[in-house]
Order: sequence, then C-alpha cells, then structure tokens
Amino acid sequence: MDNTARIILHIDMNSYFASVEQQANPFLRGKPIGITGKNQERSVVATASIEAKALGVKTAMSTWEAKKVCPSIILWPGDPEKYSDIMHRFNAIYESFTPNVEPFSVDESFLDITEEAEDYFGATCMAQAIRSRLYEELGEHITASIGIAPNKLMAKLACETVKPNGLTVVRPHEILDLLDRSELEDLCGIGPRIKERLNALGIANFKQLREFPRENLEREFHSYGTWLHEAALGRVASAPLLFKEGLGVVTSQQEAKSYGHSYTLPQNTSDPRVLKRYLFGLADKVGWRMRRDGVVARRVTAFVRFGDPSTSLGTGFSSHGEQRTFQEPTADGMHLFQIAWKILEPISLVDVRLVGLSTSILSGDPTQPSLFKKERNMTSVLSALDELQHRYGSGIWKRGATLQTEFKSRSSGFHFDHEI
Amino acid sequence: MHEILNDPIDVTVAFTDNRVLPRAMRWNEREYKIDQVNLVHTAREGAKRIFYFSVSDAANYFKLKLDPEILEWRLVELYTDG
Repeated sequence: MDNTARIILHIDMNSYFASVEQQANPFLRGKPIGITGKNQERSVVATASIEAKALGVKTAMSTWEAKKVCPSIILWPGDPEKYSDIMHRFNAIYESFTPNVEPFSVDESFLDITEEAEDYFGATCMAQAIRSRLYEELGEHITASIGIAPNKLMAKLACETVKPNGLTVVRPHEILDLLDRSELEDLCGIGPRIKERLNALGIANFKQLREFPRENLEREFHSYGTWLHEAALGRVASAPLLFKEGLGVVTSQQEAKSYGHSYTLPQNTSDPRVLKRYLFGLADKVGWRMRRDGVVARRVTAFVRFGDPSTSLGTGFSSHGEQRTFQEPTADGMHLFQIAWKILEPISLVDVRLVGLSTSILSGDPTQPSLFKKERNMTSVLSALDELQHRYGSGIWKRGATLQTEFKSRSSGFHFDHEI
Repeated sequence: MHEILNDPIDVTVAFTDNRVLPRAMRWNEREYKIDQVNLVHTAREGAKRIFYFSVSDAANYFKLKLDPEILEWRLVELYTDG
C-alpha cells in the first residue's frame, strides 16, 4: 500500500499521572499538582498537572525546584499500579476499534485505522468515538490529545500541536504545511543536540532542512542525514531508534536498545553494603525484564550520583558512571550485579544519593545450555522464578542478600516499573 | 491534609449495572455518606486482585480497598481539603 494511503492515529493522554489523580480526587482538580516519588524531598516531578505546567513547572524538575517555581504546588505521591490499570483500560478501548494498536509509552499509543476508518472523515469520527469512550469509562478528567496523519511520525507531530484535549487532522497534502509550522525540536527524533548541529549548518526550520542538499546532510550525519531529509518531506514513517521501522505500518513490538534502572536512596549513604544490596536488587529487575523480552546483553553500565544540590548552592549533583563490555552475553541478575559492582567498587563511594545500572549491546537469547552444571541449574531456577513473577507480579521472590533492601512501591518517579 | 491509613471500615454498597458502588462508610465511629465514586481501579497482591475505589463526600477524598477474597474493606487514604 502507498504510504500516504495509511491512516494513523496517535493518542497521548494529557498530563497522564496528574490527570488520573485529579480524576480520583476531586479536591486536586483545577490545582497545580506534581506527581512525585514517595520520598518527596528527594524526588522529581514525574508529571505536572496542566495547571502546574501553566505556572512553569516542568516534567523532571526536582521537587525543591518545583516548589520554588510554584509555591502553591501540591506534591502528590505517584501510584504506578493505578496508572498501569488505567493504561490497560484505555488500550483495551483502542483495541475495540482496531487490532492494530501499538503502545508507545505508558500514556501514548499508535493505532493503524486504515481499514476501519476508510478515509479521514471516518478517522475523525473514530477519534471522537474513542474520546467519548474514554470519557464514559475513565472519567471526564482523564483527557487525551489525538493526531491523525498518514504515518506515525506525522501523527505524533500533529498530536503535539493542540494540547490538552486537541484533535488535529493532517491529510497527506497538508504535511509540509504542518512541518513548516513546527519547530525542528517538535519532531520526535530531533533533540537539542541534533538541533544545534543543524543550526550550525544554517538550518533553522523544516523548509531549510528540506532544501539542504541531501548528500551534505549524509556527510554530516551519515544514515541519520537520510532520515532527516526524508523527515523534512514528511516521508518517513517513524523516528530512528525510537520506533521499529515499518514505513507506516504499526508494528506490535518495539525493540529496546538498553535496559536500566536507577534508584534514589531514602538517605544518602557511604556504606558499601547498603549500596551493594540496592545494586543487586536493580540488577535483578533489569535481568528479569531482559529475560522476559528474550534478550541478553554484552555491556553493563553502572553509575552513582552524589550529594544534594540544595546544600551545594544549586550546582547540581555530581555523578560517576562507567561501562564494561564482555564476551559472554547474560541476562542473569547475579552476573549483571557482579560486573556492575566491579565498576563501582574502586570508586570513592561517599555520600551516594542514587545508584543505577543499565545493560546494552543486546541480542536475542540463543538459549544455548551452559557447559557448567551450576549455571544450568541457575538457568532453570531463574526460569521457574520468572514464571512465578509472570503470574503473581514483582515482589513474589527476593534474594536473601537483598532482604533488607526495600524499594518503596510508590517511589518510582519516572520509572514506571511496577510490573517488573 | 493527606493521610495514608490501613483501617478496617464498614461500607454500604449498591450493586448496580454489574458494578459495586460504595454509598456510605463508617470509620472512627462516624458515618460518611459517599457522594461520588470518582475512579475504580485494580491491583495485584500476589495471586489476589484487589479493588480500589476512589470516592469523595463534600469535604473528603477517600481511597477504599476491597479484598474480594475475604470481602474486607479498608480505608487506605484520606485527603481533606484545605
């Protein structure tokens, strides 16, 4: 099928976590609220309500900064299980309209409605019908912005143009107009660094990007240059690295490039035993997600963050991170922990605020049995534990070594990790 | 004021259109009439599925927890305006 003949819907819930809380609690409605971790002093604003955003609060702001910008803000501890349940419900609503639903993040999904809608009039009616169902089944305060376009990239860009509660339709012949009304950074796939490099080439908008010789872009950005050129013409289906390529076809799964978790400790610590326990817990969480997705990694990155900016004249947190690449790929939390600890152990671990670990250089798990009996036994134990976790959720098992380590259930901040 | 609690409560419910709707609750020897059921969601506790009801009266927001296995209600969150 011609790519411009497709009809893609992008639905983005507005200020999702905050809207859910405002739906649940009427006394939070119309007020600036920020969803944080449980330990609010040491947390960030994971989502600001529409009212808080209007007063200058931004996502990922530290809570003390949010309080400074907006003294009236109500900081509210997030409830990941609630957001997960609502997410499953709105995706179920989408699936009642089309089987081609691709969740993109916790609050965003793409729907390929080419066959169901037939044309843009049908697509607009369907978008309104979805909105009515969201209203009826979730409540009037959980709202969504919707973009309709011939591919995912343009549908997402269209969705961003009117918030909250917008509905923007961009037909194939309107794509260049949409791009020319947008800033470079509005497009998913162009971040601040790429924008800076484009600006250095004298490119400040999509028209200039379109007119810039393609071969010069490719010289500067390699294959990404091809993508940028095509994106400026509205001809690519999706953003590189962010979506699985499929030229307009909604795919059911995205490929992760890395897996990671970090955790802000309840109190700063210099005790290596405490740090080891948290790192081990994080390694197990990462390992479980990798095994769930059938991948193994050949690189581990471990990092720590020190200090507290509120006592260091706002100079920000200092941090340290390093990576190790190895030959034998693994998804075992124990191995991941051992590698990560080898990275962190030599560092002076004084006044540590946050600890984290991530894996990369991923490949499919070949499921080749190890030559060593001990490792084969561990593999079968892990697969039994994974099955338990699938069935009963996280927290169903714990290593003895991490028994004294509690990951507070509502302190995940950005990390929507309740399902791990 | 926002309080996290875990207090057993008595709840009067209506069964309407295949839904369970809390109508009133008794907590701390006081009766509260529930004006609005704002949101219902579920969460897993091991093998169990637990139901949470976010409800309110004119001055308070309550989060009620229903364990359907033992039919027990608890008040787990309270927010009073002002």
